[in-house]
Amino acid sequence: MRLPSFEYLEPRSIEEASRLLKEQGDEAKVIAGGTDLLPSMKHRIFRPKSLIALDRIPDLDRVAFDKKGGLRLGPMVRLHALGNHPVILERFPMLRQAANAVGSPQLRQMGTLGGNLGLDTRCYYYNQSSFWRSCRSVCIKMGGETCNAVGGGKKCFAVFSGDLAPALIALGAKIRLFSKEGERVLSLDDFYSGNGAEPLAKKPDEMVTGVEVPPPPKGALSAYYKYRIRKSIDFPLAGVAACLAVDKREKVCKEARVVISAVGQRPQAIGKIGELLRGRKLEAPIMEEASNLAFKTAKPVANTGSSPAYRGFMIKVFVRRALEKAAEGNGA
Amino acid sequence: MKQRLMLRVNGEDYELFIEPKKTLLEVVREDLGLTGTKEVCDLGSCGACTVLVDGRPVLSCLTLAVASSGKEITTIEGLRKGEDLHPLQHAFIVNGAIQCGMCTPGFILTAKAFLDEHPHPTALEVWEAISGNLCRCTGYVKVVEAIMSASSEGGVPEGGRLEDQNDGGEVLTPEMGE
Repeated sequence: MRLPSFEYLEPRSIEEASRLLKEQGDEAKVIAGGTDLLPSMKHRIFRPKSLIALDRIPDLDRVAFDKKGGLRLGPMVRLHALGNHPVILERFPMLRQAANAVGSPQLRQMGTLGGNLGLDTRCYYYNQSSFWRSCRSVCIKMGGETCNAVGGGKKCFAVFSGDLAPALIALGAKIRLFSKEGERVLSLDDFYSGNGAEPLAKKPDEMVTGVEVPPPPKGALSAYYKYRIRKSIDFPLAGVAACLAVDKREKVCKEARVVISAVGQRPQAIGKIGELLRGRKLEAPIMEEASNLAFKTAKPVANTGSSPAYRGFMIKVFVRRALEKAAEGNGA
Repeated sequence: MKQRLMLRVNGEDYELFIEPKKTLLEVVREDLGLTGTKEVCDLGSCGACTVLVDGRPVLSCLTLAVASSGKEITTIEGLRKGEDLHPLQHAFIVNGAIQCGMCTPGFILTAKAFLDEHPHPTALEVWEAISGNLCRCTGYVKVVEAIMSASSEGGVPEGGRLEDQNDGGEVLTPEMGE
């Protein structure tokens, strides 16, 4: 497979990159690690006239931590670095789990934080070569009017398939966006539109310049669970990130943030689970109720590996498991 | 539109005139004639195209050549010193870790980068380190044994065999970590 032709632009600052992005409009795409964009270009899903490379811009790969402000991450931090950085090893074990869950060792050397957060949504009928797609109608995500995954579907059902987003949302992370109009910071939860065809809720010329993660509450237990067919390389088919503050002696849940992923068009924080569990003792009936809530929120369709039934069920299993382990007080 | 590019591969500097759409894999094979690096899936799912860039294992099929200037690139051809094979190359041969050989360059470079950082791994660590490289011939056991033997400089220690692998199932369900 050959890539289509493009012009390769190498800005030396975020300001220059943003200016180029605005000038070129939708003829251009930003490239970080390239591990999502280049395969899609090989399949002719995208044919940008120019690529705006970020890897010559200095200081975008910083990892900084202070006890008050928490973690500050640059968009170009490689996933390998995220998974192995001492401060993340020490203070953000769930982030390390999520980063190490992505892809394969090589993909983690190349892939970036910003790239994984901005991962294109995926669908069995979309992530295919132009020849394969030519045998079906142009789907909604490609600008057409039909969905090839769901008969009669009136919206895009492409699946959000990133591993870092649910973990970071469960940790209460914020994302920083830059454009000529200025910089804005929003909760990472608000970065996702829920629209499978346009998954990111940002303006086209906005660029991710950082992610900020507050220090987790003392004694909080967290984990990221990922279901995939193989033990490496694959995208998640179901994902659960859970961050729980539990009074260990009483087994009472003080706070619970549960985010499910890969079973919808965006990572989904389930506030109702937090409301349900707050102040309650973690016993079997309530853990079952919480995991059922998660199961009902999951809306997988038949457009990925495994089956919607199995993926939905794994969501329930993961939430249940997270609660049980937190109740046992399992530390890392 | 072709542009001038300087690449440093296996310690040698090359001046090239190529289009930005050329991947590092295409340039290494077609412009430099270094055909040891293989094109297999060309999409980032198999690891056969693995090369080292500044010592780190990356997929050359998803790396743009124009993004690779100013870096030290190592292909499989760069491992031998004169007539002498690299210990990993030797280990793969004597341990029967090579059948058709298509996946081998990618495996060896991944293993080299891994052993450079973790000189005395457990078998499980080796299995995880090579999890980005697929092989359709061998079933991986002898590959892991070869890497383990290269790490301990001789002999096949226990731990390279399938039954020593900790089979945790296909789901990632870690303990809740604090």
